[in-house]
Amino acid sequence: MKSRRIALASLVLLGSASAWGAGRTRYGGEVRVAHAGPPELGEPSLADTPLEATLLGLLSRPVCAVTPEGEVQPTLARELSRPTPQVTRVTLPNAATANALARAWTRLSSTDGASPYRALLYPLRGEGRQVTASGASLELALSFPWPDLERALCHPALAAPVASSTPGPFSAAGRGALDAQLGWPRGRPYLDRLLLTATDERGLARLWSARQVQVELGVSSETDNAPGALLYATYLAFSPRRLPTDFRQAVESSIDREDLTRLFVHGPAVPMPHLLPPALMPQPPKPRPAAPAAGPARTVTLVYDAALDDQRAVAERIQVKLHERGYTVALEPLARSALRARWAKGDFELMLHAVLLPPVPGPALAVVLDAGGRKDLLGVELPAIGALSDAAARDARVRERALALAASLPLLPLYAQGLGLRAMPEVGGLVMDAQGLPMLDGAFLLPPEGAGTGGRP
Amino acid sequence: MSRAQVLAPLLLALTAHAAPRSSTDETVSAVQRLSQELASDVRALPAEAPVALYFSGGSAELRRAVGSVLAARLAAEGLAPSVVDAPSAEAAEGVARAQGARTLVRLTVDVEAGALRARGDALGTWVNFWSGRALTRPARPSGALVESVEADAEALALASVGTPPTTTPPTGGPRGIRLLGATLVRLEQPVAALAAGDLDGDGRDEIAVLTEENVSVFTADGQLLARRELGSLPFSNATTREPFGALAVLSGPPRLAAWSTRRAQGEVLVLDKGRSTLRPVGTLDSAPLGPVERGGFVPGQTAFQAEVRLGDGKPVTLLSPFTTASFASPRMLFVHADGTGSLYPRVGATPTRLSGLGAGSALGDLDGDGTTELLTTSALLQPSPDVLRVHALNGGDPTVHEPLWQGPLPTGRALFVVTANLDGDTRREVVVGLSKPDGTGELFLLRQGAP
Repeated sequence: MKSRRIALASLVLLGSASAWGAGRTRYGGEVRVAHAGPPELGEPSLADTPLEATLLGLLSRPVCAVTPEGEVQPTLARELSRPTPQVTRVTLPNAATANALARAWTRLSSTDGASPYRALLYPLRGEGRQVTASGASLELALSFPWPDLERALCHPALAAPVASSTPGPFSAAGRGALDAQLGWPRGRPYLDRLLLTATDERGLARLWSARQVQVELGVSSETDNAPGALLYATYLAFSPRRLPTDFRQAVESSIDREDLTRLFVHGPAVPMPHLLPPALMPQPPKPRPAAPAAGPARTVTLVYDAALDDQRAVAERIQVKLHERGYTVALEPLARSALRARWAKGDFELMLHAVLLPPVPGPALAVVLDAGGRKDLLGVELPAIGALSDAAARDARVRERALALAASLPLLPLYAQGLGLRAMPEVGGLVMDAQGLPMLDGAFLLPPEGAGTGGRP
Repeated sequence: MSRAQVLAPLLLALTAHAAPRSSTDETVSAVQRLSQELASDVRALPAEAPVALYFSGGSAELRRAVGSVLAARLAAEGLAPSVVDAPSAEAAEGVARAQGARTLVRLTVDVEAGALRARGDALGTWVNFWSGRALTRPARPSGALVESVEADAEALALASVGTPPTTTPPTGGPRGIRLLGATLVRLEQPVAALAAGDLDGDGRDEIAVLTEENVSVFTADGQLLARRELGSLPFSNATTREPFGALAVLSGPPRLAAWSTRRAQGEVLVLDKGRSTLRPVGTLDSAPLGPVERGGFVPGQTAFQAEVRLGDGKPVTLLSPFTTASFASPRMLFVHADGTGSLYPRVGATPTRLSGLGAGSALGDLDGDGTTELLTTSALLQPSPDVLRVHALNGGDPTVHEPLWQGPLPTGRALFVVTANLDGDTRREVVVGLSKPDGTGELFLLRQGAP
């Protein structure tokens, strides 16, 4: 299986690799992990910050992962295959898992799903609303050619909700302890146990300096972390019906994306001048337009995710900058589920909308189009993209369309973020997948140099 | 039977097989490729016909093979080549001149670090009449020649031919082991287990490789004999993150026992050479560690449980689970996860505790002296490069003494080593299974080379 071999090849050791162990990675041990995320996680489509997706991924994974080389590697699934070009078969460990996944995807795709990640399933017949399990398999029929379906299915939002019927790499053992799951289809984690501690930024700093933890997730990039791809994209969504036509120009002329990433949000972060993050669309930024002519004073409300400090800081910055353009911005923090519900109903004037984009341009554009309220464009754009069998040609076409469609979407791209991480030297094997998330199931404890041996190297 | 006689059928097979081979170039042998490069270099000098060729280094067979192929290529270029024999490179100049050659090409050929190499020079042999007795050289042709191509099984067989049998010095000093290596087979997937044994009853071993997806059998020159996909077997409920499994050629009627940890059960297979298939004849209820030895996997881990069942059904309980087992009657070697090893001089004896062993460890008689050597790779997790060491077994921990031989291996993790009798003589060859950084696999063959 090519994908599996590439996963092996992509092993990026953050720790020293010169330790002893008969040349093989050793099993066992426990690692203490601190993070700045919530102690409890919601369903996969809402646990979509890089940190929350990482934590959720310890207990429940999507059917596959995309390797840094862009290959699909089965994780929860035993295998993914295409019996015919228009059908993808996902073989799962058992029928219960297949049923749980089918239910989760059907719910995500339903009209009350209120998630832009439903666009990942849009190429399926019935837009993913009719996924049914057949024994331990899911047969996914496409309504148009979409070669990137498998890579789209690897998105963390398409993981099944955490349940005993859907194995993850670890299982909760109480009090923040996660035990290695022997039955994980990709092979049990090397470590026996993870001990999770939820804290805040100050707590992270304290635990690290006291060497009370070995891995920290969600640290800012000023520290010695090793970020993966930056695909958590934040947009300023606006309602064209409730705002003047020169609103885009007003924002573009007043907001400095470099400022946002340098001063207002946690790293790792990069400015995002185009619809897709620089990781997927490495084009230079557009020149900033001049400020539009002054119009009448307006009052608008900006809703944002109450759980994200970065969004609060950016919302306040936007409040200040738009004030210079004659807008009085009222800020309204909302829970993420409420925010998504408002987005689904189009019930907002301004919204900070963040989505974790897949590491593949086609499916990423699908999510962005849906997030921009233009689901109608999916049926126009995606078939033309999917008709290209060559992956590079498809990606080029996506970038071209992203540039062309940018002005017609009520979305202003702001910045893209990843997950900051740091690990003690004794922890090896921390791999960042193509999604930019660390796979802690591949981590292991390096034995002390020379331990248990006395021979020559 | 002389070594040359033993290797003759192998060499014949190597040259006769024009079918695709598994190493770098699908159709052209290393000798052909090297000769092609050298011929281009000689032509570009430009050389003046007739061209005399003088070879040194390597084995006589390798020198002759390169000489013949290169001469043929130069003949096709109209350079009227001849191969000269002389006691030294300096003496070759006079011999070439006496034979009327206008250009002399002097090359040293050898297999080194997995490459077939040629190094040397080219010079004009014409002497100006007005030079008198002084043997002046002309300005042209002249040049240095350095070429290297990846070695293959054929080059390795040629390089190892004719090596006189190594005997143990009466003083007990270091024995003459010098291994030459070449890529034997490239695999799309990393190796999960490796075994060698005579599966077709011809008196020479075949090499069997297990990956996550299939089990394959190769000839001594890397030709694929048969392959069986494992997809029809049920998935294991406790697989390993890395490819791992057990593979052994069983005693009695030649059969191959294979079990990948990706699968819930293993199979016993028979090689049907006529149909190029591996035919299943049964299933396994335990992991095949050797011809008659059985064990069990540690669920989810790249290790075997500490209890081993021997051929007579007697159990041997080790100190801890192990990752590698090797049997060379009466000796048994088990390598544990921490890089230590248990070496049993015979069944029932107290094991010698070894240290600093890699997962790629094996027992085998490499020098044909009737005693077993210990082969082991690096115990480091990410050695760069990995190294193969050969130690004499003289009692005690052999790894604390200088190895008989050690040499670097190609890039990758060398987690599997077996010895094999590929040419019917008393000296066993070494096959190393490598997991390459790009996620592929490779079999690297090492033979005794010319001293």
